[in-house]
Amino acid sequence: MLSVKGLKATVDDKEILKGLDLEVGAGEVHAIMGPNGSGKSTLAHVLSGREGYTVTAGSVTFEGRDLLELDPEERACLGLFLAFQYPVELPGVNNTYFLKAALNAKRRYHGEEELDAVSFLRLMKEKLKVLHLDDSLLKRPVNVGFSGGEKKRNEIFQMALLEPKLAILDETDSGLDIDALRVVADGVNSLRSPERSMLVVTHYQRLLDYIEPDYVHVLARGRIIRSGGKELALELEQKGYGWILDEAAA
Amino acid sequence: MSAQALESDRATNAVGGVPEAGPFDAWLPASAPATGEPGWLTAARTAATERVRTQGVPTGKSEGWRYTGLRALLEQGFTPVDEPLDAMLREDLDDLLVPGLDAHRVVVVNGSFAPHLSDLDDLPKGLRIGGLRATLAEDPDALADDLARIAGDGAHVFASLNTAGMGDGVVLLADRGALVEKPVELLHLSVGMDEPKVAQPRHVIRLGDGARVTLIERWASLGDALYCNNAVLEIGLGRDAVLAHRRVQLESPSAFHLSGVYLRQGAGSRYDGINVGLGGRWARTDLVVRFAGEHAECDLSGLYLAGDKQLIDYHLDVQHGLPRCTSRENFKGIVHGKGKAVFDGLVYVAKDAQQTDAAMSNRNLLLSQGAEVDTKPRLEIYADDVKCSHGTTVGQIEPEMLFYLRSRGIPEGLARRMLCLGFAGEIINALGNEALAGYVSEAVGGRLQAAPL
Repeated sequence: MLSVKGLKATVDDKEILKGLDLEVGAGEVHAIMGPNGSGKSTLAHVLSGREGYTVTAGSVTFEGRDLLELDPEERACLGLFLAFQYPVELPGVNNTYFLKAALNAKRRYHGEEELDAVSFLRLMKEKLKVLHLDDSLLKRPVNVGFSGGEKKRNEIFQMALLEPKLAILDETDSGLDIDALRVVADGVNSLRSPERSMLVVTHYQRLLDYIEPDYVHVLARGRIIRSGGKELALELEQKGYGWILDEAAA
Repeated sequence: MSAQALESDRATNAVGGVPEAGPFDAWLPASAPATGEPGWLTAARTAATERVRTQGVPTGKSEGWRYTGLRALLEQGFTPVDEPLDAMLREDLDDLLVPGLDAHRVVVVNGSFAPHLSDLDDLPKGLRIGGLRATLAEDPDALADDLARIAGDGAHVFASLNTAGMGDGVVLLADRGALVEKPVELLHLSVGMDEPKVAQPRHVIRLGDGARVTLIERWASLGDALYCNNAVLEIGLGRDAVLAHRRVQLESPSAFHLSGVYLRQGAGSRYDGINVGLGGRWARTDLVVRFAGEHAECDLSGLYLAGDKQLIDYHLDVQHGLPRCTSRENFKGIVHGKGKAVFDGLVYVAKDAQQTDAAMSNRNLLLSQGAEVDTKPRLEIYADDVKCSHGTTVGQIEPEMLFYLRSRGIPEGLARRMLCLGFAGEIINALGNEALAGYVSEAVGGRLQAAPL
C-alpha cells in the first residue's frame, strides 16, 4: 500500500528526515513512536503534501503511484487521509458544506456522480450513528469553538465519511482526556478493515492501549531505529526512549 | 438643525474667490426649477449650486479623496439624464430580480420613479411610498423637515450636485407605530444611453415613532452600460423606530456609482445597515450618521469585493454628539487582481457624549500581489467616559486553512473560494433575509470563480 524508501526531507534547510524506510501493507496498523523532535509530524506532513517541506532524496509510492509528485488534493482523492494534530478552524465555512465539498471532490475525481443534498444527509446520519456523534457539530463552522475532543472527533468523522485507504493519525491523543481518548479510539477502531491501513503517530504509548497496532516503529533523529510488534510500545512505556537511542548510537 | 448640518469640504482650487467655469457645470440643471416647487427647496438648490462653484473638484490632496481619484469620472463627460425612460417593460426586470424575494417593490429607472414597474398595490396601513416629484406636487411641505435638511450641506461636492440637480426619487413614509412585515425593495435600474449620463436620484425615508421597516436597496444595470449614479438618501428615524437597511450594489463593470446615505436617528431608534459593494468600475459611498436623541443604536456593516479595473470606496462619518448612543462599524473586504478598495471610518465623540459605546472593525483579504486596500479607521474622542475601540487587518488567505481543505481532496481554486465565502459569510448571513443572502452569496461566489485567484 505505502512504500517509503530512503526518504530525506528538510525544513528551512534543516534536515529532519534522514533516510527513512517504511512499508505498510493493506489493512495493517503501524504505530510510529519517538521522542519530541524526532521527525514524526514531519513524516505525516510530507506524506500528505504540506508545503514548506523539501524532499531531498528517496521515494514514496502509494498503491504504485509516486506520491511525491501529487498535489495534496490528489493524494486525498486517491485515498490518503491525515487526521491533524491541530485541526484548523475555518471561520464561516459550514461543517456540512465542507464535508459535502470534500466527499464530492473525491467522487468527481473518480468519475462518480456527486451526491445530492438528500443522499448526502442520509449518509452523514448513518456515519454519525456509528461514531455516536452529536449532529450539532455539523451546523457549526468547521472546528470553530470546538473543544479539543470535538475537534478530534470531527477529524475521525471526516475519515469515516471519506473512507480513506491509508489514514495517518498525527498525535491524535494530544490534548485529550481519558474519556475523549476512548471515544476517539472507539471511532478509529470502528473504521479498521482489511482494506484500510493506518499510520498512528504518537509520542505516548497510552493511545496504543486503545488502538492496538500490528507493528511499532521507533523514529529518532530522522530514521526508524527499531521496529517490532506491539510489545515494543510497552517496553518504551516502561523504559523510556533513552536506552533505545543509546543502543542505536552504539 | 445646525447640530446636524455638515461642514463641507472647502475648495482649495478656487482662484481669488472668483468662480471659474467648473467641470461639474454640465451636471447643474439648465433650466429653472419646475413651477410650483416649494420655496424652501428652491432656496436649498440655489445654495447647493453656489456650493458646487466654491467646492470645486476634490483633488488628491483633499481630505477624503486621497486614494479615490476622480480623473476617470471626469473624463467621461457625463451630462444629466434629461428624459425619463418609459420604454422598460415588466419582463425586462425578470433577470434582475432576487429569486424568491417577497417584497413591496419600488423601481427607479435612470434616477426616476417608475410606477409602472413598481409593485405597490398592497402596501400595509401606515406605509406610503411614492415618487419625490409626485409627493411634492401633492403636498409641497410634506418633506420640509427632511429633504435637504437631514443631509445639510452634505459630505462633499457630489451631495451639493445632487441637491442642485435633483429631479426625482422615492419617498417612503411610515407612520407612527407602523409595523411593516414584508420588506420594501428599492430597485435602481440603470440603462445606458447614447451619451454618458448621470442620474441623481434623491430619496427620503422617514419612519415615525416606533415604526419598523426593512428596506432592501439594490443597484443593477442592463448589460455593461456606462453611466453614473449620484444618489443621496436622507433617512429620518423617529423615537424608537427600527430600520433594517440592506444595500446591494451590483452595477455594470463600466458604471460609476456615488451614493450618500444621511441618517438622523431619534432617541432609542435603531438603524441596522448592511452594505454590499460588488459592482461598478468606480464606486464611492458615504454613510453619514447623526444622533438626535439618546439611547439610539447604529449598526453599519459591509462587504466589498474589488477586482481588476475596479475601485470601491466606503467613507463612514459617525458623529456621537449626544450621550448614551451606540454604534458599530464592521466592514470586510476582499480585493483581487489589480482591484483597489478604500475604507475610511470616522467615529467622532463630542465632549458631552458621555457613555458612548462605539466599536469599529475593518478586515481585508488581499488575494493577489496587485490588490490594494487603503484603510483608515479614525476615532476622535473628546468625552472621558466612553467605550470605544477600533481594529484593522489586512491579510492573505491562511496557508494552514488552505492546506486543511486541500488535504480533504478539495481542489485549490474551490478551497480558496470556500475560504473567501467563509470570510464574507459573517456579513452575508447578517443580511437576515434568506433569498437576499442566497442572491448575494451566489454573486460573490460567481465573482470569485471568474476571478484569477
